[in-house]
Amino acid sequence: MQAFSLTTFVRGLFLLLACCPLWLHAQEKTTGPDSRALFVEALTADNDRANEILQELAARGATEVRPLLEEWRAGGIYAFERADAQPLYVTLATTPAQEETSETYIRNVETDELVENADGDTLAVEKGDLDPLFPSRRLRRNLLQIVDLIALGSPEASERAEAAIALGLKGDAGYLTALQERREIEENGAVQDALDEGIALAQLSLGDRETKLEAVQRLDELNSIPALDRIRALQREATAEGSDWSAEDLAALQTAIHDLEGYLKWVDFFGTAFRGLSAGAVLLVVALGLAITFGLMGVINMAHGEMIALGAYTVYFVQQGMAAAFGPIGMEWYFPVAIPVAFLVSALAGLILERSVIQFLYKRPLESLLATWGVSWILQQAFKLLFGAQNKNVESPTWLLGNITVHDISLGYNRLFIIGFAILILVGTWLLLTKTPLGLCIRAVMQNPQMAASMGISTSRTRMATFAFGSGLAGLAGAFLSQIGSVGSGLGQTYIVDSFMVVVAGGVGNLLGTLYTALGIGVIDNTLQPFLGPVMGKICVLFAIILFLQWKPGGLFPARSRALD
Amino acid sequence: MFSFSDKLSRIGRSALALGASLLGFTSLAHAADTVKVGVLHSLSGTMAISETSLRDVLLFAFDEINANGGVMGKQIEPVVVDGASDWPLFAEKAKQLLVQDDVAVVFGCWTSVSRKSVLPVFEQENGLLFYPVQYEGEEMSPNIFYTAEAVNQQAIPAVDFLLEEGRKKFYLIGTDYVYPQTTNLVLLEYLRSKGVPVENIGGGLRKDGNGNVISAGTYTPFGHTDYQQIVADIKKFAATGDACVINTINGDSNVAFFKEFAASGLTADECPVVSFSLSEDEFRSLPAADLAGHLGAWTYFMSLDTPENKKFVQNFQQWLKTADVEGLERDNRVTCSPMVLSYDGVYLWKKAVEQAGSFDVDKVIAELEKGISFDGPGGEVTTQENHHLTKDVYIGETMPNGQFRVIESYEDVYGEPFLKGTFE
Repeated sequence: MQAFSLTTFVRGLFLLLACCPLWLHAQEKTTGPDSRALFVEALTADNDRANEILQELAARGATEVRPLLEEWRAGGIYAFERADAQPLYVTLATTPAQEETSETYIRNVETDELVENADGDTLAVEKGDLDPLFPSRRLRRNLLQIVDLIALGSPEASERAEAAIALGLKGDAGYLTALQERREIEENGAVQDALDEGIALAQLSLGDRETKLEAVQRLDELNSIPALDRIRALQREATAEGSDWSAEDLAALQTAIHDLEGYLKWVDFFGTAFRGLSAGAVLLVVALGLAITFGLMGVINMAHGEMIALGAYTVYFVQQGMAAAFGPIGMEWYFPVAIPVAFLVSALAGLILERSVIQFLYKRPLESLLATWGVSWILQQAFKLLFGAQNKNVESPTWLLGNITVHDISLGYNRLFIIGFAILILVGTWLLLTKTPLGLCIRAVMQNPQMAASMGISTSRTRMATFAFGSGLAGLAGAFLSQIGSVGSGLGQTYIVDSFMVVVAGGVGNLLGTLYTALGIGVIDNTLQPFLGPVMGKICVLFAIILFLQWKPGGLFPARSRALD
Repeated sequence: MFSFSDKLSRIGRSALALGASLLGFTSLAHAADTVKVGVLHSLSGTMAISETSLRDVLLFAFDEINANGGVMGKQIEPVVVDGASDWPLFAEKAKQLLVQDDVAVVFGCWTSVSRKSVLPVFEQENGLLFYPVQYEGEEMSPNIFYTAEAVNQQAIPAVDFLLEEGRKKFYLIGTDYVYPQTTNLVLLEYLRSKGVPVENIGGGLRKDGNGNVISAGTYTPFGHTDYQQIVADIKKFAATGDACVINTINGDSNVAFFKEFAASGLTADECPVVSFSLSEDEFRSLPAADLAGHLGAWTYFMSLDTPENKKFVQNFQQWLKTADVEGLERDNRVTCSPMVLSYDGVYLWKKAVEQAGSFDVDKVIAELEKGISFDGPGGEVTTQENHHLTKDVYIGETMPNGQFRVIESYEDVYGEPFLKGTFE
């Protein structure tokens, strides 16, 4: 591990270095140049000197340079070359008005002031003229720990908690003291737990046997997943030949391992259930449109996948358009706009497809299969011609990134979003079909077109509307898929088999069947994956569906529909 | 689909046949001015996205050589054929190039399966193929030169680098086909030889009845999109803070994988991912922001700061503006390792021909085996007796703009195709 051993005296945000010769060295210098000047020196110094400076900065508890250290790590410090003078080290100070332009104001790292020109006006420079500085890889790792050390005093509780665990895992005596000192003044309960965990983790690699055993017990109580590997290693050490661990101590280790493994099983269980649910939600969203066009109407629509792709492309273009028109705000909020647009675009495409091809083939399902397959190929090639063969990349808005972690189970925002989204469109579709006059017409036409026609319902227009609605749902699916994968002409092909699988196994013509099968497949697939791997898992699911359909050819909820007559 | 040059070659061929029969030897004077060279890549189908770039760089290299007087005074006449991402078709096209067009050399193939498909054709017809894309090794045909990175010129240096960085746990993940499977088996042996215990190698091991490991790591099918479970597993694996991921996923699945990885809260500092199938060219359609900070290992990066590379990138961009090639994408183009290794191959072949004083395949191979060097954009490359290249290897960190920043380099790494069972 790293050569420096640091002790931190944390009073508010202050850290002090102790107990190694470096400390004395550093102490003499505290009266030297200020922290910002030191930081600037580190930017251009060689590795050793830069390391020295970093340690000194940590020792000083130089919170004012912490943002700078983080900027440096991320490549946000720039060298601004000046004619006949030393380059100036700066950060960007771009004003909102400058976002769209190639110019930006810059802030001097050393003085923390905006850079001015000879006339005393704020200097605007071309963004292209600035070269980012990067620390060397090895320096970056040290930077990370320095930032962690300083982060222990951060006002953000989550930052303190993360830093506590990261430092504990390093197993360094200096960090241990820093953690213990922080623990004494920490008031936030969650951070206290994190600090306890960090301290115990550090003691696990540092302490004598008694301390280690105590640490093991504490980690057991804290359900510490990172500790499991360490405790196992300790157990191997303890059971190795020639070791003098007592049976009692060994039993304590074994209990801890057993408890943690048990905890991990629960985490896995609930995590898998959640992931299965979200995979099922993806399947549901993808298959719902097909449940309408194929399930209700009996049209074997092989171009369903391309309707999905069209929805995804729509999101891409809405994103591009809004980013160009509104800048970062457009990037942040394009998605709510893109969702209805994707629905409308795909619905319109479905409408055109129905009017131009499918309306002539209602009585000939096999021909509609071939015709729509042809349409699918035409559309794929059209996407390539119009939008290019390269896949498009849709950036997710920041509110869909990240996750919340509950008891070590991380729930991604995008996954939570799709589960909510799936429920919403399922309920919407159900309401439309059962509670509206249009829904009544749709059901009437699907069940008995002649009778419906004689009651004055225009079967042709109802079918047209239904097909457009089903296609629109496919567009919604595409909108969501753009957030979890890439957008390309082949996007629909990835999901078309899955969609048919869900609809057929669920029972053609039944929305509830589609719901149950989608969730069932999602959960079973995710449960099998850890044991069998994704490839075998998928094969098993397909095989199970074949067996199931042998047993129940009509699917989960068999229904009479025109397609089966 | 026939390209313009393809048509030309057909016209040329018929003219030649006609001329030869009517005028005897006089028409051969025309033939003596050019030498036919085959280009065998997928210009349609799933691999077209990657392989079209290689065709482009080859045509660029030919134009560059032709403008400087050609090879032994002869102008290169490219015969471009489309393998269409269809592996048996690759073999057919190879046969056509060697028998019908009688080309002096072929540059081509991307996937290992296409190479395996054309290999018997080249051996049977005694042709010469230059293969430019990183591959799994365990092969050495007398009729193929592998300018590609062997496993010890990409995966092994990357693992060395990660070990040096203090990484102790390695999670292996890839797409389910020959390259990732073979590479990971080699890596498993290598990691074990470096003292990494089995429990620190993630992704799972599969053993046959005799207890021999037949597969290491987790594999997903081509086009897989649901990486939730795998990323959750990686997160658990990386909880100790000293893990990394060795990624041999191919194609679009990488987008889903990296998006899931980022969404789970894992960062490149906690658990870096080193990818072997992602170069600058692939980054054009990947979410670069999700990839920033992760690692790549290649024998060339577009960002290399050498005069040779700057000249190469500049000339290529210039050529893109003016070249008369059907369907050429002219904007936002980048250069990457497979492209540069294709380019190096052309110049190595040229040098070998000139040293041999002949286009004869046996003589050219004999010269190549003696060792020929070329100062390419990625540094000096030298051919070896075992048909691979000695070259520099770079480890790079991905930047938000889709380029790599070099953070480590290993000079003159000897290309070694047979690694299985060589580690103690």
